[in-house]
Amino acid sequence: MIPILHLSLISIVLTLGMVFAYLAISERDLLKAIVYSAGQAAMYVIAFYLLMAPDIVLAYAAVGVGVYSAVMIIAVKKTERYEKP
Amino acid sequence: MSKKNLVITSITLTSIVLGLIISLGVLGPIPLTSIRPLGLFYALFMANRNITIEVFPLIVNPGNFWAASTEAITAILWDYRGLDTLFETSVFFFAIIGSIALFRFTEKEEHEIRKKTHENHASEGKYLGLSLITKTITKIILFTIIVVSAAIALHGQLTPGGGFQGGSAFAVAPLLAIAALSRFYLDDIGFKKNTMLLLRTMGLLIIALLAIIPVVAGIGSWQAYIMQNQPKEWAIIQLFPPKGLGVLLGSLVYYNIAELLAVGAGFTIIFILLSIPEEFYKKIIEKEGVEHG
Repeated sequence: MIPILHLSLISIVLTLGMVFAYLAISERDLLKAIVYSAGQAAMYVIAFYLLMAPDIVLAYAAVGVGVYSAVMIIAVKKTERYEKP
Repeated sequence: MSKKNLVITSITLTSIVLGLIISLGVLGPIPLTSIRPLGLFYALFMANRNITIEVFPLIVNPGNFWAASTEAITAILWDYRGLDTLFETSVFFFAIIGSIALFRFTEKEEHEIRKKTHENHASEGKYLGLSLITKTITKIILFTIIVVSAAIALHGQLTPGGGFQGGSAFAVAPLLAIAALSRFYLDDIGFKKNTMLLLRTMGLLIIALLAIIPVVAGIGSWQAYIMQNQPKEWAIIQLFPPKGLGVLLGSLVYYNIAELLAVGAGFTIIFILLSIPEEFYKKIIEKEGVEHG
């Protein structure tokens, strides 16, 4: 039997991840875009956890939410905060 | 309805429709929800169970290939596919050597920038880092992050986790410290660039030594294995204690500790280097250009 709850949780989380990805791309304020990107990574972390890949969860949470966002914030700090239209 | 809401609604609708189509099996068979055969195969070998005869009639588990790890990923990474991970770690190691060569400074210059930054802040009437409340909380969180990362790495052969996961979790600690407490705090608690350089070199050296020891010890006998984890009955060199004494006695836990050192210290160096203002490096490189013509 297919566990309906499990599959629907995965699909909800991945849809939210897609929405976050769209927001990160369309946002002109780059700091906000980084926060959206971190949100997308957090959604993927939950999806990986539901897909029973706990090792990926541990690495992805640290790299996707922590390290990646920090490096991007440093890049924004050294350049400009707002994307020109 | 604004354009943003329209796009978000259409994304949601598309994903619902796509999910329905996939779950009805139109695009192909749905993946298994039980344990997959390959996973079961590894799980059986990991636990040294002999029920392979029932599940896989063609495969006989002689009981010699077990990794003494209840964690399939760690067993594959450091035992069955150990050399792959060794080279992966080396790639990471050399990548960071490149950035260290690009952003170079001596201890004297480091002292100079510290003095200058403090002077600048004092003249503007500001202090380094965020408010006192944030600083205190960050110090507590720093400690817990380091403890959690050590737990991830040290339990790597028993529970999900391992050296790389632990190392990248560890790397969040210096990041937080730089953001909330300024980079000079890292220097004060001993997270200096050269200390980190020493730690990560030590990590890779430990991995290399652990990999080579069985081969060196078995020179002349042709019965030793590179990156040997558990003893083999047909090998003369029995580096690690025989099976049955517990799951801690393989080489996996040492590899995980060394990987934690290499990855954690490597990321820390990158953040220390990135947190220094660019003008500082420009000045150094210009000075070098003048000196060397």
